[in-house]
Amino acid sequence: MVVGDISTGTEVLVIGAGPGGYVAAIRAAQLGLDTTLVERDAYGGVCLNRGCIPSKALITGADTAHEAAAAEEMGIHADPAVDMAGLQSWKDGVVDQLTGGVEKLCKANGVNLVEGTAEFASEGTVRVAHGGEGQGSETLEYEHAIIATGSRPIEVPGFAFDGEHVLSSKHALDLDSVPESLVVVGAGYIGMELSTTYAKLGSDVTVVEMLHAALPAYEEDVGRVVRKRAEELGVEFNFGEGASEWEPQGDGVRVTTETEGGETATYDADTVLVAVGRQPVTDTLGLENVGLDPTERGFLDTDDYGETNVDGIYAVGDVAGEPMLAHKASAEGEVVAEVIAEEPAAMDFQSIPNAVFTDPEVGTVGMTEAEAEEAGFDPTVGQMPMHASGRALTLRESEGFVRVVADADTGFLLGAQIVGPEASELIAEVGLAIEMGATLEDVGSTVHTHPTLSEAVMEAVKNAEDAAIHTLNR
Amino acid sequence: MVREFTLPDVGEGLTEAEIVSWLVDSGDAVSEDQPVAEVETDKAVVEVPSPVDGTVREIHAAEGEVVPVGDVIIGFDTDEDDDAGAATTDTTGGADDETVESAVSAVAETDDAPAEHVFASPSARRLARELDIDILTVEGSGPGGRVTDRDVRSHAEGDASTEPEPKPESAVQSATTAVGDEVDELELGGGASTVTEGEADRDRTLAAPATRRLAEEEGVDIDAVSTEQTRDGEAFVAPEQVREHAAGGVEQTAPGAEAETGEAGETPAGGVDLDPLPDAEVQRRETREPYTGVRQTIGEAMEESKYTAPHVTHHDEADVTRLVETRGRLKPEAAERGASLSYMPFVVKAVVAALKQYPILNSQLDEVAGEIRKKHYYNVGIATATDAGLMVPVVKDADRKGMLDIADEMNDLVEKARDRSIAPEEMQGGTFSITNFGAVGGEHATPIINYPETAILGLGEIKEKPRVVDGEVVPRHVLTLSLSIDHRVIDGAEAGQFTNTVKRYLEEPELLLLE
Ligand SMILES: Cc1cc2nc3c(=O)[nH]c(=O)nc-3n(C[C@H](O)[C@H](O)[C@H](O)COP(=O)(O)OP(=O)(O)OC[C@H]3O[C@@H](n4cnc5c(N)ncnc54)[C@H](O)[C@@H]3O)c2cc1C
Repeated sequence: MVVGDISTGTEVLVIGAGPGGYVAAIRAAQLGLDTTLVERDAYGGVCLNRGCIPSKALITGADTAHEAAAAEEMGIHADPAVDMAGLQSWKDGVVDQLTGGVEKLCKANGVNLVEGTAEFASEGTVRVAHGGEGQGSETLEYEHAIIATGSRPIEVPGFAFDGEHVLSSKHALDLDSVPESLVVVGAGYIGMELSTTYAKLGSDVTVVEMLHAALPAYEEDVGRVVRKRAEELGVEFNFGEGASEWEPQGDGVRVTTETEGGETATYDADTVLVAVGRQPVTDTLGLENVGLDPTERGFLDTDDYGETNVDGIYAVGDVAGEPMLAHKASAEGEVVAEVIAEEPAAMDFQSIPNAVFTDPEVGTVGMTEAEAEEAGFDPTVGQMPMHASGRALTLRESEGFVRVVADADTGFLLGAQIVGPEASELIAEVGLAIEMGATLEDVGSTVHTHPTLSEAVMEAVKNAEDAAIHTLNR
Repeated sequence: MVREFTLPDVGEGLTEAEIVSWLVDSGDAVSEDQPVAEVETDKAVVEVPSPVDGTVREIHAAEGEVVPVGDVIIGFDTDEDDDAGAATTDTTGGADDETVESAVSAVAETDDAPAEHVFASPSARRLARELDIDILTVEGSGPGGRVTDRDVRSHAEGDASTEPEPKPESAVQSATTAVGDEVDELELGGGASTVTEGEADRDRTLAAPATRRLAEEEGVDIDAVSTEQTRDGEAFVAPEQVREHAAGGVEQTAPGAEAETGEAGETPAGGVDLDPLPDAEVQRRETREPYTGVRQTIGEAMEESKYTAPHVTHHDEADVTRLVETRGRLKPEAAERGASLSYMPFVVKAVVAALKQYPILNSQLDEVAGEIRKKHYYNVGIATATDAGLMVPVVKDADRKGMLDIADEMNDLVEKARDRSIAPEEMQGGTFSITNFGAVGGEHATPIINYPETAILGLGEIKEKPRVVDGEVVPRHVLTLSLSIDHRVIDGAEAGQFTNTVKRYLEEPELLLLE
């Protein structure tokens, strides 16, 4: 033991206070377990501080400015000036309110909060190094440990994040002025959300993507709608190109890209944002000291109860694998806390919804038609285009569609892909239906409010039953 | 060791295939990749190669049998080590073991949904864990076989479905043998549940929409269906209970009722003339053949096209006297170069030339994107009659190929389609199709578009007919043309202009030299 160490014991030790860790800690404490939560940076983790929440705040700001300026067809004429510093301070206010709330909730539920960086010392003990130099450290003994250390952005070789020329998503959420021009490397969900945001705030955005579609992880027709709209907003796409290097160019950057065939191109801009994915944070935890072996990509394998292959050590959230999403982290956190409290919980989610806050939004859940087929179902598909939705037209957002996938034999809902306004909200209904084992008929026979976007879900379901009223059935 | 081999996915998205013939017998020695069976998918007949060196131990599927992908079709004895360790180190073997296992648990389920997927609410799943039950072994009574909390409970209490429902009886017993506390209990349990006649009379009943619909179909008043289940303190009725009620209340013991409703469920409403077991008389009067494989695929494609695209067919005729002469002159030349030159390559060339002038006929309507996609490549499908039915092999990039190349490729593809060795890719990606219905005789037809293409040209038989040329009736070679278009994207005028252009190239074939 290092001099100055003090040692305390806890039943449940949670490392990392993101949506995985803080939820696990609160639930464990609720269930009467003595719980300690260690966080080295800020309560709420990536999600609250530099992910979901700040990005959605900026997207709302960008949307507000853009919509006001683009409402002439409605007879509304405005030329809003965006004060980026003002937008940032509003966003920071939202973040502070939420992170403060997390801290209060933890305390109110009796979670012991420890600030510092945790590292496994041996089986059953963790060393926490406090803040800066000389602040000392302490050793914590645990019966059960929950690893919830989240993820960090992947760096492209040659593109070390410096916050000035080369930005990570975190930097891009903290800019105090709108760059005139911006190169975005990666057209995944983070790249597309930020490209759309900055395009709406007035930047000239150029997207470089190695694959051949925007949102390449989604079905082709989903990404196509998002790409089309982004292009209308002035975003320029260069597919099939990977960023290979950059150099300073005046005050800005010159980014060089390369195709598979070796052709190069250069793009000049104020800055370059690299958003090519995220990797789990498992390399700084002293995992070797407890015999834990991450996978090649750095994830921790877990079983249906969230337990790793070391007894008593659990993992939740981004470290436990795809999908790397906040609600998945929280759901896992709750399950693990209940498992430790010997409740009959398990990770038996039938589906985890997924949202992209582009324009229009994307929401998916469960299986695509192809996945359903692969899983051995005989899928039937129903679709409703947004332009047939009255509410979508009154929102001036008629791009996209709702598509549902169900098992033809039993009618059970298996999945949905939604592109359109509020897709992130609409997807929840299908998620509930899948989780409840509802059939097409159950959802189709549930009366939906008019005029709302949720009617499009009902119509898509009816379309799968060949009984849609507002679209042609086929 | 023994290797069980499951039917692989031999084509995209395939779920089942028919075993056409076995190329090996039990006891035969086989080497890896040697074809062991021919199976017919919905697109073509393909060969299934042996995964191992060894001998055939047993054949599990008969010729003519339709087998789902993933089912074991053949077993091999291999020379590999026979100890258990070898099986686990052999990754393919391990995977196969798993397949076999999951196939077994899928059978245990009521429907054949893939095993890992559970159709039950989160609360039912949690209850199952609490009661230490594998939810996959619970028979669901909800719509489509959904597992409810009650199903889990009755499973835990011993397989309730194999015994008469014990609940009402014991309720009666306790009600008659005891007074006081028991009465309270009964009331708490919900009065309706203890009505022994099997008739309830509530004001309000909770049930899923599908259950209400079932009740309506069965003519059952859902408030009269007895139930012990409650949700939020209100009576809750499941479909099974509606069926029981319809079948005559609780006197009917559960197994009987289930068996009956099970059968009733399979008879389509108003199912006329679909008696499942035709008697000898019926068998004499008609022959029944399964609607599967290629036949079903053709049927579905036709159905989709005809119900999606409003068809209009434009008829015309071309005077192909000069084409007949030209082809007659070129034929020996082509033969010398080893090609057999029919009229079809000329038609393909004429069509491609006309498509370039009227690109809308070389298009596709993308309903989802709300876009009409005009193709700048010319992949011409040639409808081909085969013994198994209609197939449409595609000559790709016909605009970039010479007449003889087209002739060669087409003959080759058509032959492959006829002997069923054509690959699925060779029948995909068409942008326009031609059907030569005249090959079996006939003047005009109304061809069905090869959806999602938007046009198809039908060719009649070339015949000598009297036609008026310069005021005189003379014999001419006449080819009739029937062009069907998708009227959503193509108008009649365009169809006419396109046909006129094709006609011009066929009437003056030397124009093709300029293409
Ligand atoms: C720009 C952006 C937008 C996003 N938008 C969305 C969205 O809209 N919806 C969505 O669902 N997800 C979104 N995400 C993803 C989401 O943020 C993550 O999935 C989520 O935060 C994962 O939660 P977590 O608890 O696993 O880890 P994290 O939130 O990453 O939290 C881990 C915490 O552990 C701490 N930590 C790490 N190591 C140690 C240590 N050794 N000792 C002590 N503390 C440690 C870290 O400081 C951090 O606070 C977004 C991410 C980004 C970057």
